[in-house]
Amino acid sequence: MRTSNRSALTVAALAAVVALVSGCGETGQGPQQSAKEGGKIICLMPKLVGIPYFEASKTGAEEAAKELKVELTYNGPTEGKAALQVEMIEQLIQRQCGAISVAANDPDALAPAMKKAKEAGIATGAWDADVKKDARDVFVNQATFEAVGKQLVDIMSKQTGEKGDFLVVTGSLTAPNQRAWLEEMKAHMADKYPDMKVAAVEPGEENLQKGIDVTRDYLKANPDTAGVFGITSVALPGAAEAVEQAGLDGKVKVTGLTTPNEMKDYIKKGTVEEFVLWNPVDLGYLAVHVAKAQLDKKLPRSGKFKAGRLGEVEVVKPDEVLLGPPIVFNKDNIGEYDF
Amino acid sequence: MSGVDALRSVGLRTAPTTRGLRRWLLRPEAPAAVFLVVLLAAFSLAADRFLSPDNLESILVQVAVLGIIALAVNQVILAGEIDISVGSMLGLCAVAVGTVATATGGLLAPLAAGVATGVLTGAVNGLLVTLGRIPSIIVTLGMLYALRGVILLLTGGTWITQIPDETRVLGLAKLAGVSLPVFVMFALFLIVNAVSRNSTWGRDVFAVGGNRRAARLAGLAIDRTRLLAFALVGAFVGIAATIYVGRAGSVQTNAGEGLELQVIAAVVIGGTSIAGGRGSALAPVIGAVLIGVILNGMILVGVPGVWQSAVLGALILLAVTTDALRRRLVGGAA
Amino acid sequence: MSANQLRALDVLKGVRFTRELVLLCLLIVLVVVLGQMSPVFFTVGNLLNTSRFFVEVGLIALGMTLIIITGGIDLSVGAAMALVAVTVGLAHQSGVPMALALVLGLAVGLAAGLFNGLMITRLDLHPLVVTLGTFALFRGIALGVSGGGAVSSFPQWFEYFGQFYLGPVPGQLFVFIAAVTAVWLLLSRTPFGRYVYAIGNNEEAARFSGVPVRRVKVVLYTGIGVLVSMAAVIYTSRVSTSRADFGAGLELDVISAVVLGGASIYGGSGTIAGTVLGVVIIATLRNGLSLAGVETTWQVFLLGVLLIAAVFVNEFFRRREE
Repeated sequence: MRTSNRSALTVAALAAVVALVSGCGETGQGPQQSAKEGGKIICLMPKLVGIPYFEASKTGAEEAAKELKVELTYNGPTEGKAALQVEMIEQLIQRQCGAISVAANDPDALAPAMKKAKEAGIATGAWDADVKKDARDVFVNQATFEAVGKQLVDIMSKQTGEKGDFLVVTGSLTAPNQRAWLEEMKAHMADKYPDMKVAAVEPGEENLQKGIDVTRDYLKANPDTAGVFGITSVALPGAAEAVEQAGLDGKVKVTGLTTPNEMKDYIKKGTVEEFVLWNPVDLGYLAVHVAKAQLDKKLPRSGKFKAGRLGEVEVVKPDEVLLGPPIVFNKDNIGEYDF
Repeated sequence: MSGVDALRSVGLRTAPTTRGLRRWLLRPEAPAAVFLVVLLAAFSLAADRFLSPDNLESILVQVAVLGIIALAVNQVILAGEIDISVGSMLGLCAVAVGTVATATGGLLAPLAAGVATGVLTGAVNGLLVTLGRIPSIIVTLGMLYALRGVILLLTGGTWITQIPDETRVLGLAKLAGVSLPVFVMFALFLIVNAVSRNSTWGRDVFAVGGNRRAARLAGLAIDRTRLLAFALVGAFVGIAATIYVGRAGSVQTNAGEGLELQVIAAVVIGGTSIAGGRGSALAPVIGAVLIGVILNGMILVGVPGVWQSAVLGALILLAVTTDALRRRLVGGAA
Repeated sequence: MSANQLRALDVLKGVRFTRELVLLCLLIVLVVVLGQMSPVFFTVGNLLNTSRFFVEVGLIALGMTLIIITGGIDLSVGAAMALVAVTVGLAHQSGVPMALALVLGLAVGLAAGLFNGLMITRLDLHPLVVTLGTFALFRGIALGVSGGGAVSSFPQWFEYFGQFYLGPVPGQLFVFIAAVTAVWLLLSRTPFGRYVYAIGNNEEAARFSGVPVRRVKVVLYTGIGVLVSMAAVIYTSRVSTSRADFGAGLELDVISAVVLGGASIYGGSGTIAGTVLGVVIIATLRNGLSLAGVETTWQVFLLGVLLIAAVFVNEFFRRREE
């Protein structure tokens, strides 16, 4: 029993130390005070760091911050997990951010934390992926789910004669934005192209090799598949690679969403004719401009919003700023982009 | 009482074939092999394209990376240690392969870079375990995190793309209709199997894993044995990384994430004991193929995406239950 | 040297460099360094707030400690957490009164743990292998049943659950302290606790000495199922939503904390104090580094280095002593 007594003593000592240490520090400085003192830092949080898409947004965000002469903190978890974002938001509240804008991994899970930020007097916003409406003041949207879904289906319909069975390779089956695109795609097909159908949805788990394997296996089991949609930045290169490796490029059409640098080869070879995205650099840039406008209390609630080199962007709803229509990349314009 | 003993007790003499069968069934990888055969039969009945040579070859190619790494991790587990850093190691080696490939092209230089990176990392693991006397679970867990960070810092979040075709040969080329990765996997299996059974190191691995105290008293070089095992993992991960880069065509920043769990699964489902000292080089291969069969079969049969994880879990549990069944029928250690 | 001096030296030598002491020193060093890096770190408000995040991992780590002491492991805890969360969410969505939904969630967590326990004991399978299977199975069921969707329309009082404070202290901290006390008492003051250590040290010998090995193991795996349910409810309430991807990677966080705390993966040793220190150290490191503005990629790297360094230091002192 000696060991356990020692353990008990240790835990008691630990408690005493923590109490002492926190006593020595400043007491009671709650979030309310910290926000008012800080006020000028814009804190932008991506879904995760370390992937090309969010590195591109970082470039745009830093560009805007330099232009507007504001301090910017751009940091996110190393994995796309809402739990980690919740923690980081709470830490940002402590760090005296004047404005917090987050690309949410989960619209509901982040809501309590963002509401806390609001209560602390911090300007709240979302970009790329929204949170619950009452948890933020404004949402910087790159393209509506509807526009994206429609564009994807329209591209595919052109290439497949407006008919066929299609495979959709997604990231995870729970990601809200991927689910939303899928819904819009299905709705558009039912509406305009009744002969087109989503035959299956397979998760690629944001793993390139898995995306390739899943696509290959599916095409083997369903050789009459007309095309594959890869609707994440990992799923599309995976689908393209699989179609190429199976020797089906040209016969099975491929399109989806991803950043252009990963697709340059496939566009050159013709495996993918067109695919969709928006400019994440511009998105990060816009998000910072919007946050700055929030800080200066100069954000318009309708009409147009002037955002630096982007010119005038539309404020489509009192709480939503739209970047613009999605960009369609093909071999004519892909050389102009580097992200 | 085992079934065979039951037969004996009522006076029926067991034929030599029964004894031979019993001896085969007692091998560590036997339950997994039996389950594999059952699965193959089940899937082929459920999906007509399953048993086609093209599909079977596809399965083997898909698990080649997993199988190669599992072969080496198997040795580490046999030696009584564990290595859960292999996923991050694969990512790091893939970055090395990709960087060299886009700089110089060819196959040998990137392959060498990958293997060197792997061996170096593996050696660090091994040294921390042997000289540092830190339990391998902690060393490799720490490396899992640390290497992930290193990869992100090195790549800055950008993928390495446009890997030259010559580098991708190891992943994509075919010999007599069968992809190279399959040959590599089997070649490495034959090598490891031979080394494991016939070399001093191979036998020492079993001894160290089976009873470390006894091995030490017997004067075996425990530290060197384990160090070599960890270094071997590094080398194999380097080879696997070259295949991976070849097949995928680019190196994504989170390459290899989650792989360690699959590798451990392949090793233990295949029949190697996690406690060390019991197993064979065939176990990880059978385990890897089993996993590949399940993943492929589910898609061919048309299991909806949302239910695939549940089916995978259920089949894994069935696979390990086969081991319990064997014990009830034939006896044998747990 | 005088007799008194000799006696003093003896006392000093008696200060055994227990694992817990080393960890405590590490924690103190961390707190000091992180406090220097960010002025906001040292506040009561921040430290208490950090506790809200480690309660979920901490609760499960308590159960995991006992399991690891017996030489076992449970890789399915994250998946079980998702299953409980999905159960609560879907039950509520289909009209079941919230309180009953919570009970259902608790039952599911318990059943999941029981399932693990039975498969391990009745079929004599290694826990790693069984929980590897249930790791995929539980999450798969959560995913299949929920179809990947989320439930987020919980009643107001439930959201209050994981977000309430008693004064400045978050409610979950009380739950955690209560659980720590309970499990610590169980492990160090009851025969059950002795059985746990006995099984870890030598299972065969324990069985021959009359320890009800099977029953103990079933209790342990079922028990962690209950802890998982509690963590799931707290987390679901904290984020006011329930989805099948909860708890992804949780098992790694839990195991990291437990092995950092000194439990040997081979069984036979480990303490609650060590685990609590492990949980707190990891949470403190993450929180402090974030506040200091350190990029998350560096944080991941530092966590790995810390894990290895902490154990190295401990082993170093232990060897000097021998």
